[in-house]
Amino acid sequence: MSVSELTLLVLRLGFLLLLWLFIFGIVYALRSDLFGQRARKMQADVAAPAGAPAAFPSGAPVPSATQPPAASASAPTEQFTARPSPVSTAVDDKATSQNATRLVITSGPKAGTEFPLTGDSITIGRSGDSSLVIRDDYTSTHHARLMLWHDKWMIQDLDSTNGTFLDGNRLVVPTPVPLNTTVKIGATSFELRR
Amino acid sequence: MPASSNRSTTTDAPPRTGRVRRLHLPQKLRNLELFLLLIACGINAASVVLVQLGALGRIDTTLVFLGAGLSALVLAMHVVLRVVAREADPFILPIATLLNGLGIAMIYRIDLANGESGWASASVRQTVWSALAIGCAIAVILIIRNHRVLFRYTYIAGFVGVALLLLPLVPGLGREVSGARVWIGVGSFATFQPGEIAKIALAVFFAGYLVRNRDSLSMVGKKFLGMRFPRLRDLGPILVVWALSMSVIIFQRDLGTALLYFGLFLVMLYLATGRLSWVLLGMSLFLGGALIASQTLDYVNGRFRNWLDALNPDVYGADGGSYQLVQGLFGLAKGGLLGTGLGQGRPEITPVPQSDYIIASLGEELGLAGVFAILALYLLLVARGFRIGFAGNDDFGKLLGVGLSFVIALQCFIVIGGVTRVIPLTGLTTPFLAAGGSSLVANWIIVALLLRLSDTVRNQPRLVV
Repeated sequence: MSVSELTLLVLRLGFLLLLWLFIFGIVYALRSDLFGQRARKMQADVAAPAGAPAAFPSGAPVPSATQPPAASASAPTEQFTARPSPVSTAVDDKATSQNATRLVITSGPKAGTEFPLTGDSITIGRSGDSSLVIRDDYTSTHHARLMLWHDKWMIQDLDSTNGTFLDGNRLVVPTPVPLNTTVKIGATSFELRR
Repeated sequence: MPASSNRSTTTDAPPRTGRVRRLHLPQKLRNLELFLLLIACGINAASVVLVQLGALGRIDTTLVFLGAGLSALVLAMHVVLRVVAREADPFILPIATLLNGLGIAMIYRIDLANGESGWASASVRQTVWSALAIGCAIAVILIIRNHRVLFRYTYIAGFVGVALLLLPLVPGLGREVSGARVWIGVGSFATFQPGEIAKIALAVFFAGYLVRNRDSLSMVGKKFLGMRFPRLRDLGPILVVWALSMSVIIFQRDLGTALLYFGLFLVMLYLATGRLSWVLLGMSLFLGGALIASQTLDYVNGRFRNWLDALNPDVYGADGGSYQLVQGLFGLAKGGLLGTGLGQGRPEITPVPQSDYIIASLGEELGLAGVFAILALYLLLVARGFRIGFAGNDDFGKLLGVGLSFVIALQCFIVIGGVTRVIPLTGLTTPFLAAGGSSLVANWIIVALLLRLSDTVRNQPRLVV
């Protein structure tokens, strides 16, 4: 035998260890399923590491003067404030995974209903496989999409016929959604709220 | 699309001309799956290498190509999932891959002990069957884009299931292997166990049937002993399934398959109605039937005797006695806590060590730690299936998800319980591990269906306006 007993013993134990590491890897990835979701962090904790000043474009008009310190740190609106945005909501808090917890329907047939935001992207449209199905004459099959992008809730119009309106302005490019700001699709409008 | 190109979209895009470019979202679930899948493929390769080092003392490269082909196929399935089922559960595929690979390594190890190689060896055939099974799984993922399509074919599925179950009884087509008539074969080569596929068809049928008819099964009935018992006329379905499983015991002489189907029906009935009385009723029906069978049918009686009195020298030495069972136990005992090491035990002493007794072979060479790891893998797989059922919104998907994963759980319990002498031994295959093409195909199709279910569950509407 060209392989010594000791090598085989080490390999054998190593293999068992590898098997168990795989299992514990899966269990670790599943931890929120097995032991429940971790409690949401406080706003101050998550705001602190977010704003690295070097990340701003040098000429960007950082709207820190109009904001309380905590809010400016939590809303580094990099590329989107580099050009004057058509949506004049730069002073508002952008909805992030931390500060937005629910989507509330504010007008339309189901006004007043809400559902929690989990971090998964939300597709909006008339088709049955959308997360938020809106069945009226103005909505396209795949109308728009709300998603977390760099931890900010962004809304993107998916080439809909009648458009998606953020605070009254028709969306052209994917845009971050501020908190408590109306998004209008067809006859339905909704907001992201704390 | 990287972040930088997206920046140019937001700053330079002329307003409202042309198609809006989409943001790139990282596929977190799929990336996790890829990571786990690569580890699983690595463990599979390591297990084959360890077998060669242990049994041959050197590394042989003949099986490497087959193993690499298998890994490529699994990765192809991963890529398919990236396109057609982006939100599917990321854990199911790596777990199934690892179990399949461990099974192939152990079968290869037994081939080495028996001096078989090439196309005659079980390991090469098992690898080819695995490739076929993964191909089937990819096809299922591609063809069935929404599990609710299956709901339309409820009764066809039921018919197909029963037909597959009865197929081995057709003269000329059915084959009898070691007493049980559960095989079909054409000529001398191709043998297949249609009952394995039947369990999927029956799960679809039970789910669809119970969703349609559960009200009459759950609402009415007299209260007795603190439980609501069903009316006599609602007993029809359970009696039909009971009769079916009893006929499997009598005509096909296969206890395990009968227990599997009846258990599946019982669990889905309990899920659909939420009534414990159905479970009590069904269990007493089955136990009664099994007791009568053990008194009247020779082979059932023998199984019970082997189970209860295994270490008796008379039973041990008898023809059809407990020799196999006890050899398996000896093997497990030899393995101890950490096992003899892959390729260094003697699992080939037990009869059929590569199919029914693969868990004893693995137990001998990987020890208690290895067997528990394998059981943990099954546990995680089944738990994912239950979780998918739990998260579902439509009743059909719920029942189907739980039913399919429960089939795997029950099958594990019947086989591993039989080998470790917890229950009487009955011939079933250990899912993913044991040598056997039909079982592999069936279980990989179950994996595909669970993946599809988990994808639709995540994509279903949360609010309809």
